[in-house]
Order: sequence, then C-alpha cells, then structure tokens
Amino acid sequence: MTEPHEAPVRPGPRWRFLHEPLVQFFLAGLALFAGYRVLHPESGNSRYRIELTPDDLAQMTVSVLAQERPAPDAKEMSSLIDQKVREEVLYREAVAMGFDQGDEIVKRRMAQKMEFLAEDLSDLKEPTQEELRTWFNQHQDQFQVSGRITFRHLYFSPDSRGKRALPDAAAAAERLAGKPAEWPGAAREGDQFMFQDRYADRSPEQVAAVFGGGFARALFLATPGTWVGPVESGLGYHVVVVEELRPPSVPAFEEVLPDVRTAWIDAQREAYKQKSYAGMRAKYQVVLPPGVSDSLASGAGVTPRALGF
Amino acid sequence: MKSRCLVRATVSAVLLFLVAGVAAAQAPVRHPYYGETHVHTGWSFDAYIFGNTKTGPADAYKYAMGLPITHPMGYQIKIETPLDWMGVTDHSEYVGTIALANTPGSSISKLPVAESLKVRTPADVQRIYLWLGYTMIDMKPVKSLVSPEVAGTVWKENNDIANQYNKPGKFTAFCSYEWTSTPNNRNMHRNIFFRDCAKVPELPFSSLDSQDPSDLWNWMDAQRAKGSELLAISHNANLSDGHMFPIDVTEKGNPIDAAWAASRDRNERLTEIKQIKGQSETHPTLSPNDEFANFEVLTYLLGDPEGHPPQVPGSYVRQGFKDGLTMMAARGYNPYKTGVVGGSDSHDTGVPYRQSNFFGAHGINDGNIKERMSGHVFAGMDVRYENPAGVTGIWAEENTRASLWDGMQRKETFATSGPHIQIRMFGGWNYAAGTEKLKDWASIGYTKGVPMGADLPAAAGKAPTFIVWAVKDPTSGNLDRLQIVKGWSKSGQSFEKIYDVAWSGARKRDAFTHQVPPIGSTVNIAAATYTNTIGSIELKATWTDPEFDPALDAFYYARVLEIPTPRWTTIQAKELGITPPEIVSPTVQERAWGSPIWYTPSAGDRAATKNSMTVADLKAKGAVALDDSALTKLIVGHSTWLQNNVTNGKFVVAWAPNGLQLVGNVNPRDLQPSEVGDVATAAYLGHSSSYSIKGGKILTSVGNAPFETAVYKLGNKYYAARSNEFGYANYEIIPVPSQLGENMQFQLQ
Repeated sequence: MTEPHEAPVRPGPRWRFLHEPLVQFFLAGLALFAGYRVLHPESGNSRYRIELTPDDLAQMTVSVLAQERPAPDAKEMSSLIDQKVREEVLYREAVAMGFDQGDEIVKRRMAQKMEFLAEDLSDLKEPTQEELRTWFNQHQDQFQVSGRITFRHLYFSPDSRGKRALPDAAAAAERLAGKPAEWPGAAREGDQFMFQDRYADRSPEQVAAVFGGGFARALFLATPGTWVGPVESGLGYHVVVVEELRPPSVPAFEEVLPDVRTAWIDAQREAYKQKSYAGMRAKYQVVLPPGVSDSLASGAGVTPRALGF
Repeated sequence: MKSRCLVRATVSAVLLFLVAGVAAAQAPVRHPYYGETHVHTGWSFDAYIFGNTKTGPADAYKYAMGLPITHPMGYQIKIETPLDWMGVTDHSEYVGTIALANTPGSSISKLPVAESLKVRTPADVQRIYLWLGYTMIDMKPVKSLVSPEVAGTVWKENNDIANQYNKPGKFTAFCSYEWTSTPNNRNMHRNIFFRDCAKVPELPFSSLDSQDPSDLWNWMDAQRAKGSELLAISHNANLSDGHMFPIDVTEKGNPIDAAWAASRDRNERLTEIKQIKGQSETHPTLSPNDEFANFEVLTYLLGDPEGHPPQVPGSYVRQGFKDGLTMMAARGYNPYKTGVVGGSDSHDTGVPYRQSNFFGAHGINDGNIKERMSGHVFAGMDVRYENPAGVTGIWAEENTRASLWDGMQRKETFATSGPHIQIRMFGGWNYAAGTEKLKDWASIGYTKGVPMGADLPAAAGKAPTFIVWAVKDPTSGNLDRLQIVKGWSKSGQSFEKIYDVAWSGARKRDAFTHQVPPIGSTVNIAAATYTNTIGSIELKATWTDPEFDPALDAFYYARVLEIPTPRWTTIQAKELGITPPEIVSPTVQERAWGSPIWYTPSAGDRAATKNSMTVADLKAKGAVALDDSALTKLIVGHSTWLQNNVTNGKFVVAWAPNGLQLVGNVNPRDLQPSEVGDVATAAYLGHSSSYSIKGGKILTSVGNAPFETAVYKLGNKYYAARSNEFGYANYEIIPVPSQLGENMQFQLQ
C-alpha cells in the first residue's frame, strides 16, 4: 500500500491519526477481539461464554480517561479485560454453586465450602522445619523489624536562648565530646525539656513523632556510647548520647517460627487460589463485541476535555 | 467531752491526710493520643459514587498506621505523621448497597433500581450523589436499598475489621459509624463511638430510622441500658443552618426543656470543631472582636439548596457554649457542655492532614490537582474552599479502646487544624503563680484542680487560675500565641473575651487594647515557603482571670496559633505555575483548641448579681406591650437612643421609613452581647440593615437569622427585649445623651 518514498520517519498527515491514543485503542481492541476469536472459536454453550459488550469496554475506557490518564494501550486494555473476565468467571462459578439461591442452599454450600477450605489446609501437609527454614531464607525481607534506639539528650531551647541556642549547644557538645553517658558534667548543661530526657527502645517512627524525621535519621547514624552534637530537631538543638542502638534486623528463624509458618500457609493458599482459578478459567471462552471499533467510534466525543475532567 | 473532741480532731486530721495522700497518689499520668473520628471508605454510598470503589475500612486503618494506600484516582497516598487511633465512620444509610448495586451478580444489582445507580460516566457521580442525598434529606428512602440484611452484614464486617486492626498499646480501632441526618439540607450529622466492640448492636440507628437527634439519643440510652457504652460527636455545626445549637425549640418543634438538655448532655459529649468542610468554632459575625475568627469559614449547605442563605447564629460551638451558660442561668440546665475534637470527613479512605499534602476528600470531584485548582464546583461548592482535615488529641493513660473512650467521655480532648500540636489546660483555685515552670506541673494540675472538659469546683472566694501549655508539632510552624477564650453570661446576655496569655518574641501588649500585636509573616507567597525564624517552640502560663465575677456562669478554653504558613492553594498554585486564588487566604495560622472548663455559681453566689427586669417582671408591674401601630409611631422616621442596661453601652438607631435601620454611635470599647454582628464597624461606616414591624415585634436579621424585639411601656419608660436574650428586657430608651466619653479617663489608665 505504501510506496517506499512515502514512508517518512514521522508519519505523514494521512497516517498521523494512527498515533491518536483513541485510534490506537480501537485498533488494539480489534486486534484483541480477533485474537480471542482465533483462540476461542464460538461454541454453543453460553454457560462458558463471556461476552463483553461495547458498553463494558466503553465503561473501562471512561474510568481510565476520567482519571486524566491517557487512553489505555493494548497492554493495559488486555489487563482490564482480564480483570473483568476474572470477576465474571468467579461470579458464574459462585452462581453455579448456588450462592445466589435461597437460605437452604446457601447454608449447605457454605458448610461445604468450609469443608473445602479445611481440606485445602489439611491437604497442605505440615511443613517441615527445613522447608520453613528454606522458605524463610528466601523471604527474609518480610520479617525485618525496624531499628530500636535508647538515648539521652540535653536540650538547647530556641525559646530561651534565641540565636544562641545553636552555638551554646555546639559549645556543650565540645565540652562533652568523647565523654560517656554518665559523665557528671552533663547534668549542668542544657535547658529543661518539655518531654522526656531519656527515651528507651524507640523505633525511628516513634522518635520522629516527638522530634521530627530529620532528628530521627541523624540519631540512628550517631556513634553509640559518647555525647555528640549538636543535633537539630523540630523543637531546637540537642546534644545526645546513644546508649544502645539496634539496627534494623531480621530475627533468627527460631524467634519467628510461628510467624514463618503462618506466612508460609498464606503463600501456599495464595498459590492454591491462583491454581484453582486457572482451572476454572480454562473452561471459559471470552468473546469481545463484534464491530468494536464502530460502536466506540460513535462515542468519539468521550475525551477528557469533553467530560470536563 | 474534751477527749472526744480530740479524737474527732485526730480522726479528721488522719482523714484529711489520707484524702490528700490519695489525691496526690492518684494524679493520673496521661499522654496525648492523636486520632481520627470521622472518615469514610468505599462502603459509604457517596464515597463509592465519588469513585472510591476499591478501598474499605481495612485500608483506612492501614493509612492511619503509616502504610501507603491507593487514592480513588489511582495514585499512592501516605500519611505524614501516623495516628495512634481511628474510628471509621461510614454512613449507616444505604451502607454497602451502592457498592453491591455495582457488583455484578449481587442480589441488589438485579433490582430495577440498580440500573440508575450504576456509575458509567463522570456525570453520573453528581447525579446519583444528589439523588440519594435528597432521598435522605426528604426522608423518602429508596425502600429496595434499605436492606437490613445488607446493612447488618456490612456493620458486622466493619466491626470485625476494627477488631482485626485493634492492637492494644499500639493502635486503637474503634467500632463507630455516622448517623447522617440532613433535614432540609441542615447538617445534623453525628458520629457514634462505642466503647466495647463486643457489645455493639446488630444494626446501627440510621437517619432513615429518624432524622431527629432526640430519637438518636433515646436509642443510645437504650443501648446504655443494655450495658453498651457509647457517645455521639456532632459535626459541621457550621453547615447546620442554625440548627446544631438551638436555644428555644427542638427539631420536633417542642420547647427545649430540662429533659431534652439532660439527654443531649448525656449522649453528646463532643463536637467536631474543624474538618475538611470548614471550622465550627466561631464566625466573624459572631465574634467581631476575635481577630483570628476569620479562619476556614465555609458558607454552604449540603445539597446546595436554591434560595437558602445559611444561618450563622446556632451554627458555631463558641456561641453554643455561651448560650449554654445563659440557659443554665435563666433556666437551670446547660445542654451544650461539649468537648471538642477535630476530624476529616474524607471520603477517600485516606485523609489529607497537611497543607503540603492536600489531595482533596471527594474522589474524582477534587482528587486531581488541575481540577481542584480550577475551582471545580462540586454540588454547589467551589472545592478550593476545602482545607486539610482536623485531628483529635485525647489525654489518656494508654492507647486502648477503654482508656481513649473514657478520655472522650470525660471530654479531656483537644482538636487541631491538622498538625500534631499539643495543648493542655487545668483550672483550679489554688495554683501558685509560676506553676507552669515546674517539672511536675501536670501532676499539680490534676491534684489541685481539674483538666479540660471538667467543671471547676465551687468558688473559693477568689478568681480561678489556669495552667495552660502548648508545644508545636516538630514538623510544622512555630507557635505565635497561646490564648484563653472566656465566655460568660449575665441577665440573659452572653459575652466573650480573648486573653493572650503567652506569646513568642519581645512583643508588648497594646497599652489600650491589651492585645498582643500580630507576629508578622515569613511567608513568600510566590515561592509558597515560610521559615521558623519567628515564633516559639513551647508556650505556657499560669493565668488568673482578672475580671472574674463569682455570680456569673463562665467557661474557659485554650487556643494556640501557629505562625502564618502557606495555604494548600498557594502551594499548589506554585506547583502549577499559576497565581494563587484570591477567593481564599494565601496563608493560614494553623491552631489547636482545648475543651472548655466550666464554672457554675452556687445559688448563693448567683443571688449576688443584679439582673435586668424580665418581660414577666414588666408585665407583673403592669407594663404594656406595644402593638404594630404604637411601634410604628414610636420609631419609624425617628432616631431612638438606647442603653443596654447590662453593659451600660449607649447607642442610637435611626429608623428610616423605607425599612432601613442604622445603628450609630457604638463605642468599640463597649462589650457587645451575642449575635448583634460587628455593630461598631457598621456604625462607624454607616452600614444599614433592614427592619420591619409585624405582630407587635421589630423584626431584624443578623447572619441570615431572624431576631425579634418587643417593646414594653411602663409609666413613661420604654423597655425592649430581644428574642435571643432569654426573656430579659435589657434595653431602655434614654434621652439624647449630652456626651458619650465620660469613661475616657478610666479607660486610659
């Protein structure tokens, strides 16, 4: 169709419309539709036939456009369709199991479902220590606990010292430099602080709630054991001594064994869910609307501007 | 005889010692726990329609604890400072049903009504919101959507999720919901908080059961009788069209009486003073002398009814506190002894608490910066009037449901406009000057007096003293000033005065106005920045009321203000490279409010005051009420000099035949009673207002609310009684004064 000398790097006016998102979307829709048709030829059984109407597709697109995002490309559209299909598959399976029927059936089914679940779990043979340990080693990041700090501080109040607060804190820090936490001279320094003079076993978030995030970050970088400073907080200046610092850590396997077991079961259950859905999904044929481009083209006014969004 | 006396004296001494010892030992150690009393998830009918279709209560709790969640418009949101507790308050009306109508296969989605509930285009959002909203406003619920089965299941699920996220000592999740009564577009909403999730009812009481708050209180009383403790928090008094704090008639149209007042006091322990849809502390019309009253005012009614200007009197909590005092003095009950909390009312599951992180509160209506900053009109409201959420602080022993709920019940609470400012106040008769400087001031606060939310014990022949303290949020602006707001009542009138009790820097009180001058501003509006080079970290004082009268009912509450910082609209204008909007202030002074401490005189103390005559007194003396023609003859086309016999203030009213009246010669130094507006400025500028004569009354209006004045003739004197002054005839017609400045010398001292 296209003569070689008419194939520019940038598309010419005649082909520029191909770069319009909406047009790309129609084309993607058509391609998908064609693809599904090839993969899933029509069969007579409507129980296993999921048809998406032009309205369904339009609604999906609108919900994307309404967020001032560009029209979905083929990949996004395919993921939206997958979501929709998944919902419909699960719904139909639920209907097939009678969940939409009267009380009696619901009760019986729910009882069966409970057994079902129990079977699932009992099917999962109790993991061995070694299985759990291997799994724990592969998923350590899930079990990390944030660092903890115990510290004392001397406060230099901008309220009472004004501009001298910082130099005063620096001078005190110099006098206390290299001195241990219990150094008697420390008691003579600083101002009365409105909260506590010593905080034990605090997480970074807990320190940040009292002093602000910058102070918490600086504190967790301080060398434990000696007075250092000045450190600025949202409340003024401080000379601090970290008594104990425990960095973020992954606890020993034995400490968190029950949590590991719970997490392992959750993971197995999730895998089972995926597997059983895959089983259900395989039975279904998904059909996209015929003439998808025509019907959507008539709604071409559906652009972000026209919607006022 | 002698020995018996000795024994008795010894016993008393031992008893006294014991009591003192016990009291000292009992000073509780309480910490401020910050939380949310008011947030909606996709389970609320309106939130779902706004596009919040994927998140529920679990996501709200995750957000409060500091985990990122997804905004209805698809982007990530994260709280700045995590909260200690939260109660999710989805609307009990139509709860869950809209989500189900949009869920294929659900029983509700198969009903014919479901078709009209499906959101297909953005235009559907406002249409469905207003339609469902109006079915509630008009009390014509869509029957097929009021499904006890659905509501019961959703309520149970809500409480299960609260139980799942409730971690005593770490994070508290309450069982709670919102009762959404909106008769005639008047916001009468209340959030209901249960103490114990194991004792909640099967179904919440919704506004589809009744829109009348007294029916809600009766239901709450019944719950309490069954052993379930619960309390109500009213909110958006500012959108109540004058109906949140009525003084004469109930929503049922009956006269307010002692039983109604007791029921309200028993059930409504708290009121929300600030949220995303504005503050409800006070309004410049009600507090013309409060230079900080002009803060996040929202003139609006839900559903945006046409031809309906909202009423200011009755819509703000400070005036409610003042009217409560007058009701106590005049009628012997006070329904409005409520503590204060802050909340969000976000419908996005997540909540914007900071100017620097404002992402709206109504899904697609205000969730996009360009849409928001272009002034999107959402059901009649320009969304630029919205502002970040308020926060509640509770002083409590520990972070558990029981301890926090008990703190709410005893009203030991405070509200902030968003930052985690701390504020605390104690009141008593025996605090020594300088107590605030002691390390154990809070413990002294408890042992020698009472905390916020409580009543002062009987007067001790001197003025009460207050220890008041505030500390800034370490991540927010420094503090400008710490104030005590006092209200008091005399002879059916109520008054307010604001005392600056501690402030930053070397500022001096103005010698004449006694006010501390403004702190100035470091805000660069174009760059949307500020610096903490002005202001204080901590402000505190021990303050004694210099004008205490033991015969008069009074309340005191603390308020602290931050230095000016840029409003979210200024910050986002900078982001977009546009000029900040002029319909809102480019800067704000964030603030915190403490719950009041009340003083109620004993009968003996009360007898010491001299009140004006009441209308009943006048009638008993043979006074005659003027009818329309007598009133017309007396005032129309004349100027009348009047004296307020409570304040001794004198002023003149010129009554024009065309229905305009001009109040003149108002001395700005005279105290003004409640709900007269800024009469001093209007008098100076010559701003008139309208009046008419009807039914033997002079009809006027202030803040879109009607007021009536009746005039009585006794001998050759005329007395006037205003309809908001509880039956007292406080005004008297006086001869034209020859001079008005006789107090000048006294005032200049």
